[in-house]
Amino acid sequence: MSELLTAVSIIFIVMGPFLVVANRFDLPTVPFFILAGIVAGIGMDRFGIDEALTLELAQYGIALLVFTFGVGIELSSVRSVLVDSETAALGQILVVGGLGIGAGVAFGVPLSEALYLGIAAALSSTIVGTALLQAEIGMDLVHGRVAESIQFLQDLLAVLLLLVLSAGVLAADPIAEMLGYGLALLIAAVLVNRFLFDAIGRLAGESSELMILGTVSLLALFIGAAEFADVSIVVGAFAAGLAIRHDPIEHLGLVNGLQSIRDFFVAIFFVTIGALVVWPFVEVGWAASVDKVLIAGVLVFLTAVVKPAVTTAILLYQGYEARSATLTGLNTDQVSEFALIIAIEALLLGALTQSVFDAIILAAAVTMISSSLTNYYSDGIYQVLSDRGVLKSGHDKIDSWSEVPDDISDHVVILGYGRHGRKLVDACEERDRPYVVVENDPARRDEVRAECDAVVIGDAWEPYTWEKANVGDARVVISTVEAESLSRRILRLDLEPDVVLRARDQETALSLLEEGALYVNVPALLAGRQLVEQIQAVLDGDLTATELREQQLTELESYTHTSLGGSADDTPSVRP
Amino acid sequence: MITEAALTVDLAIILLSATLAGFVAKQTGQPTIIAYILVGIVIGPAALGLVEVGELTELLSELGLAFLLFLLGIKMRIDEIQHVLSPIVKISIPQMIAIFLAGAGVAFALGFGPVESFLIGLAVIYSSTAVVIKMLNDNDEATSLHGKVDVGVLLVQDIVVVIILAVLAAGQPDDLAEVATTLGVVLVLVALVTIAALAASRTVLPRLFRRIADNKEVFFLVALSWAFLFVFVSDNINLFLAPLGIEAYLSIEMGAFMAGVAIAQLSSSKELQDRINPLTDLFVMVFFVSVALDLEAAQLLAYWQEAIVAALVLIPIKFLVFMYLLDWQGFDTETTFLGSIHMIQVSEFGIIVIAVAQTAGFVDAEVLGFVTLLAIFTMAVSVYFIEFRHPLFDRFEPTLSRVTSEGTFETSTREYRDHAVVVGYDDMTRNALPILADRYEDIVVIDRRVDHIDTLEADGYDAVYGDARKATIRKDAALKRADLVLSSSADPAVNKALLREVGDETAVFLEADRVQDARDLYDSGAHCVLMTAYLSGNKLAEYLRAYLDETEALEASIDDDVELLRSEKSIPDIHLLGGEPDE
Repeated sequence: MSELLTAVSIIFIVMGPFLVVANRFDLPTVPFFILAGIVAGIGMDRFGIDEALTLELAQYGIALLVFTFGVGIELSSVRSVLVDSETAALGQILVVGGLGIGAGVAFGVPLSEALYLGIAAALSSTIVGTALLQAEIGMDLVHGRVAESIQFLQDLLAVLLLLVLSAGVLAADPIAEMLGYGLALLIAAVLVNRFLFDAIGRLAGESSELMILGTVSLLALFIGAAEFADVSIVVGAFAAGLAIRHDPIEHLGLVNGLQSIRDFFVAIFFVTIGALVVWPFVEVGWAASVDKVLIAGVLVFLTAVVKPAVTTAILLYQGYEARSATLTGLNTDQVSEFALIIAIEALLLGALTQSVFDAIILAAAVTMISSSLTNYYSDGIYQVLSDRGVLKSGHDKIDSWSEVPDDISDHVVILGYGRHGRKLVDACEERDRPYVVVENDPARRDEVRAECDAVVIGDAWEPYTWEKANVGDARVVISTVEAESLSRRILRLDLEPDVVLRARDQETALSLLEEGALYVNVPALLAGRQLVEQIQAVLDGDLTATELREQQLTELESYTHTSLGGSADDTPSVRP
Repeated sequence: MITEAALTVDLAIILLSATLAGFVAKQTGQPTIIAYILVGIVIGPAALGLVEVGELTELLSELGLAFLLFLLGIKMRIDEIQHVLSPIVKISIPQMIAIFLAGAGVAFALGFGPVESFLIGLAVIYSSTAVVIKMLNDNDEATSLHGKVDVGVLLVQDIVVVIILAVLAAGQPDDLAEVATTLGVVLVLVALVTIAALAASRTVLPRLFRRIADNKEVFFLVALSWAFLFVFVSDNINLFLAPLGIEAYLSIEMGAFMAGVAIAQLSSSKELQDRINPLTDLFVMVFFVSVALDLEAAQLLAYWQEAIVAALVLIPIKFLVFMYLLDWQGFDTETTFLGSIHMIQVSEFGIIVIAVAQTAGFVDAEVLGFVTLLAIFTMAVSVYFIEFRHPLFDRFEPTLSRVTSEGTFETSTREYRDHAVVVGYDDMTRNALPILADRYEDIVVIDRRVDHIDTLEADGYDAVYGDARKATIRKDAALKRADLVLSSSADPAVNKALLREVGDETAVFLEADRVQDARDLYDSGAHCVLMTAYLSGNKLAEYLRAYLDETEALEASIDDDVELLRSEKSIPDIHLLGGEPDE
């Protein structure tokens, strides 16, 4: 058995228990990989193995990490993020990045290295952030979506940074050259995607083995090209990802296969990073350790306190209401895996000293763990900040955006303007009944204002929103939002009118009913009932499968025609 | 100090040329393994000399082998092979002895020395797991009777190969007594590892994997961690035994295999197969390419005429031996024929046996070249026989039935046919199950939550744990022969895959989130696509109208719905309406 196999064995054996712990406490895995790296590093020392041995495998991890990021990019989503007001949140990167560089220089780190501290402070982790927000993104809540697009933009920016940094110096000419190579790679990626990838798919036929080999070969080719042009391999990997970006429906086996290969190498990457850190107080002397810990501490402070604060402030300024802004801000309070990649690349290029590198890794491990805590307690944190008056929730925004007749009464308050909301608005208009739509997503603002008679743009968590909707005189409140926390909050507000809620599952629905809801809508259960009827009809022979199909197609057409203006398909599908 | 680690050019060359060759092989109907081995010969020192075995390629090929055996271990579900266990053992033992004698005899006749002939005999007794399992899977015959018998025999052969590898790797023995001691120590160690693995599969592992099964990434990596633990212990067994004054060797393949067997007994093992498969494919490719990377052309081709002769003799002998033994065990003529024709090649393990023997100094590189050629040749030939097995059978059936006896073997498991497949166990599909149970004998439910699987199994359904995105998982449900398929996954990718794989007569009920997805699914042949959000939106609007009109009907409907909510307990401890499914 080779030394390398021993090293990989140690990495995986050590990793296992750490992952079990992470899973037990529902924490993100990345920081635990890094922690496992510390132990694995000690283990490798015992066996006389150099940690740098796994560095090449770690590079594959980096490549695959970026590669799958590239594969996952949907061009349409890039466009929609760019046109959204959410880009302004990138201002956060400038502010926090600047502070990071400044703090570095203040601590005596040379400017060229302080740059990396700035990057580490500014970028937040997609892996950790989206994992923590999985449910919110699935329910299409505002802060889930905003946080996701901020992270997405940051990742794109990180790839660009890596491209620029591979110039080695901060001069216009080499950077322009790098950008040129980067552009060439992107063009190659687009060409491959257009012409070559489908051919590979056709030739591979049913064989996912060949499909995976073909894809990995493409990755190798792009990385090779990047190396040849002296560009960071990350840029090559990203381009390769774009090159095979494809409808997952046709290549399900490929998507699954790449996931396994990625998980394997990415795990090695994160653990190796942990193993490469020279641990303060354990492996080096007192003075150097204090320095290292100090820098790491500043970085943690910038990442975990300043960054969310700045993000929140910017979002508030843009008109997001306080709660969404705070929760989004809290979701950005960790160091990004891309910052780790940039750091390790810089370390390998000799642009970063060991102690600054260590500080970045330490800060990453700390903030990734602390981030899951702040996200877990995000509502509590928001409540505390809000009660202390830190989040000045001026009502003028709500007032200026909302349109509610003063004398409205006996009306229906509809929470959320998605597919359910539209149907309810239809019903009200049909019956000539006044209604107020409450919507908190600024992206839907114009649409709601254009299509509905009375709207409140505000957060249902805030009493003022309800006041604005004149809920005291309303007939019924119907929430189309699935989030259980919001449903409970509405019930606790003890509103005058009847309350109709929505729940994801039966258990929640029953408890909401017990707490006073008039009715709780569980979509899956309703669908289940219709399903049962249809299956019964087919099984009993009342209906042939083909007849059912015809009938269903007609019904499908009715879905597309009943919605008020615009397509009925504006809600993104729930991610798996 | 750390230096910029450029990615190895060697690996890129291996990857690219293997991919190229793989595609050519695919187009010409050859197994990819052959392509990989040939690539190794072409880019290795035997021909172009582009690539040498480096540290990384060595690692990946070691991992390839370890993963291949880990994967094989994961497939060893004792309850699935139990009913063919007795005939399998009765077939495989005499088969191995017969082929060993034939192989050693042929080698000796061709002029190899006694030790060489003995080892060649040992090397040719196995049929190729890679070729047979791949062909069975491709032809959807893995769960057929002959498929099961072949897989079973292959597994017995694999256990033997693992033991032989362990003995060989211990190195050149001084006398027979030392061989016996080595064999004894190895057997004891194998027994110990087996006991440890099986004990773990009864105690720690079920609890551990139940806890992590819902997180795919953690699940996969912890399973790998478990495998590496066994690999590491096996490899460093000397370290652990040194204080006892015992010197021994365990192959990392053995360790990986037992780690897999321990996991195989868990209900989540199927899911894991699909996760390990792609990594194995990738690493095994490197392994096959590197097989010939150590061989000079002279070594590979030293015995090329002998290799062809041996292949021409061994292929019919293997076939006849299997025919005789399967017939003896009372299988019907078709099973006997198909079961035998799959097994006529020499395995990649044969190459490994000789490679290990060469490393240990028993034989020269030329013998490795001979066995490599033999394996390549027999595999290539066998692929064509397997491809044309049905026309061949039709052609020779009259002759065969005259010489074979009546089939007496009763198969105890039946295949799914005209059954119902349900993907996802949730609020939507739950209520449909009893109705399906009234009508169908078999209902297969695919779900990726362990607690759901337990509930389903307790209620008498056939539950498959895993993600319907995975091909193996879908294959298990025999979609092609299903009468009705119901999926509550809103993922169009999963639903499209289902539609591709169902039969022409299958009624398909699916779910979609978006109108466009629904339209696509109808275009691809779905009969009913439920759109939960629209349905409940309509319903809600209907209720609102009734509410605003202050009709009595509303209260009745609401009571109805609330009744529906209250009538069933929530999922994990649910007892289904409509009683148990018919058995």
